[in-house]
Parts: sequence; C-alpha cells; structure tokens
Amino acid sequence: MKMVKEFTKGIWTKNPILVIGIGLCPVLAVTSSVTNALWMTVATTFVLVCSNLLVSSVKSIVPAHIRIPVFISIIATFVTVVELVLKAYQPEVYKSLGIFIPLIVVNCIILGRAEEFASKNTILLSIADGLGMGLGFGATLVVLSFFRETLGANSLLGYTFIPGMKPATALIMAPGGFIILGLMLWGMNKINNRKK
Amino acid sequence: MNKTVKSTLILGTIALISGVILASLNTVTSGRIEELNREKEQRALSQVLPGYGKITEKKININGNSVSYWTAEKTDGGKKQNGYAFIASESGYSGNIVSMIGINEKFMIEGIYILQQTETPGLGARSEEVISDLNFWDILAGKKETEAKKPWFQRQFTGLNVSTGIKLVKKGNWSESNRDELLKNNEITAITGATITTSAVRRSIENAVAEFKDVIIPADNGEAL
Repeated sequence: MKMVKEFTKGIWTKNPILVIGIGLCPVLAVTSSVTNALWMTVATTFVLVCSNLLVSSVKSIVPAHIRIPVFISIIATFVTVVELVLKAYQPEVYKSLGIFIPLIVVNCIILGRAEEFASKNTILLSIADGLGMGLGFGATLVVLSFFRETLGANSLLGYTFIPGMKPATALIMAPGGFIILGLMLWGMNKINNRKK
Repeated sequence: MNKTVKSTLILGTIALISGVILASLNTVTSGRIEELNREKEQRALSQVLPGYGKITEKKININGNSVSYWTAEKTDGGKKQNGYAFIASESGYSGNIVSMIGINEKFMIEGIYILQQTETPGLGARSEEVISDLNFWDILAGKKETEAKKPWFQRQFTGLNVSTGIKLVKKGNWSESNRDELLKNNEITAITGATITTSAVRRSIENAVAEFKDVIIPADNGEAL
C-alpha cells in the first residue's frame, strides 16, 4: 500500500523535525505548553494538507519558473484562513500563539513538502503525505511540550502537575527547549540504531 | 502564447482567487472579531471599576491622537464617589504591556486588567496567571472549578495609592496571607524572575495616572473631578 507508506513515513522514518531537521523555529517557540503545541499541530496540519492538495492539483498548469510564488500564494491563503478563524472563534488560542500563526507561511516543512512531494505526485498521495508530515510534526511538538511544561513550569494543560514540586524554569525558556530537543534526537537515533 | 503573458495570467488568477476567498471570509469573521473586542473591553471595565454604575466612555485629543477614558459613579455609604478608567502602556521585556487601570477620586487603584502582553511564558507571562486550587489530577478526576478567579498579580494592585508611589518588593507570590502587610506599606510583590515585567506595569500605571492628572483632568473642564 503506497498510501499507507506515504502517510506513516512522516511520523517516524522521515519525521520532519527529528530526521529531516526542518521547521525548528515554531518547535522551540510554541512548545512551552501542551495546549499551544496541540493547536499549532492542528493549524499546521490543516495548512499542510490543503496546500499539498492544491499544489498537487495545479501542478500541470503551473510553469516551473513561477512555481515558488504560486506555492507561497496558496500557502499564505490557507494560513490567513486559519488566522481569521482562530481570531474569531478561538481568541484565547490566537492570543497565546500570536505571531507564530502568520509565520506558518514561512515554515519550511510546508513549502518543502509542496516542492519535494506534492508537485510531483497525485492528489491522494499528497494528502496522505501532508497528513503524515503534519502528525509527525505534531507528535514531536506534543512530546517536547509535555516535558517542558511539566518540568519547566510544573503544570499540565494549565493546572499544577505535582503539588509542591519546584519547577526548573530554565526548561521553559529557549535553551531548555534545545536541550530537550537534543535529548529527543539522541533517543530517536538510539532506537533506530538498535533496530539495525 | 508568450511565456511572460502566460505566467502573469496564471499567477494573477491564483492571486485573484485567493483574494476573493479571503475577502469573503473576512466579511464573515470581522463582525465576530469586533464583537469579541467589545466584550473584552466590557469585561476589563467591570474588573477595573467593580461596583460602579453606568460607565460612560469619553474621548479626548492628545497630540493628535484620540485617547479614550471612562467615567463612572457609585454611592458608597450614602456618599457619591467618582471612578475613572484609562489605558496604560509601557514596553516590558518583549513588547508592550497594555492594561486598563481603574482609580477613584482619591487616586486609589480600584483594579487593573492586562489587555495585551507578549512576555516570556513561565516568567513575565505569569502576570496573567490564575492559580487554581485544583491540580491536574483533580481535573482528571472530574472536579470542577467553583468560581472564576482573577490573576493574582493583577489583584494585588487593588487598594494601592498611586499618588504616594507604589513600592516593589520581592516576597514571592501574592496571596491572601501577605495581602494586608503589602497593602499597609503600599507595596506589590514582583513575579519571580520577571522584575522587568513587574516594574513595567508599575511604571505604566504611574505614567498613565500622571497623564490623567496633568492632561485629561484640565481638558475635561472640571467635569472629571
């Protein structure tokens, strides 16, 4: 099943963050709480799936030399849709994600998938690819934010996690994000090496 | 067809389609967004002028900018008391901290409400932190919050006197237990690790009150006080 393979590769073997190593800016910025990570996952996956779908369906009529501006227009349209909808119906989420919603436009995972995959493959495969990549991105975000929020702020989804524990505040800041991301990379490589 | 013309047409069509989509979505959401902003302003007003009756919005022109402020009245023990609210803004650790300040005619703070801040999560952003009595496991077990709580950092400003100067101390989190002592000395306690945020809020209040005294009251033709 090619569909299943294209879907699952984004989650583990070609995980956009832990294996390909792209899109690191939002990873460090929004993982200070699990709630933010979850909403960022929803927003990014939506944009990724929609832009993959459209890029794949217009690939035959768009000349190669203007493909990048076309991809960016498509991506920016969906990002603005997400921004307006969040602003109107989830103002709290919009407030806490702030500038990182409009910045999804320049998230290299989305342009990367449009260029590398959707512009060369069928619509259905592109949707599967977008969904898998989005969920792989999201899974990394959620795991990272779980450790940062529980250890760095002693809370989970905004409520005290272990009553009385003193949090390691450094982990909630960017350096702590790098350290935990580094540990996750090490863990992933360790598991992959053992499999071989 | 000429290659340039063809590319222009394709790119133009895509831009047009996306423009139409976004314009129509904007007409759907803009009403809702405005409504949310109004709701937020009302919520802020009810927090900074608690117990006051009808609140009237007034506008004044300062250096070419239109500035809003609000006046209200309440009867406290048979005596009429005026209350005022206005917007204070000051740059904090990262970006502006905008808040609404409510004072009475003796320049005592009735309440503050932070409208906008982009401080560091876990540090300065705790200016909006609400500490719940319940922890994560209580929530998992299905317990519900009994009442909506206000952020502790903002609550501690209520009752302070602006004209004598607010002092800043470092005594950990504000709570009911150290409330009286802080109030007596006209003090606020800083957020741990976010002294810049705390003093920015204090400075914004002092500047806004000074501006209110010096600019708005004279311009109001004695109506305000």
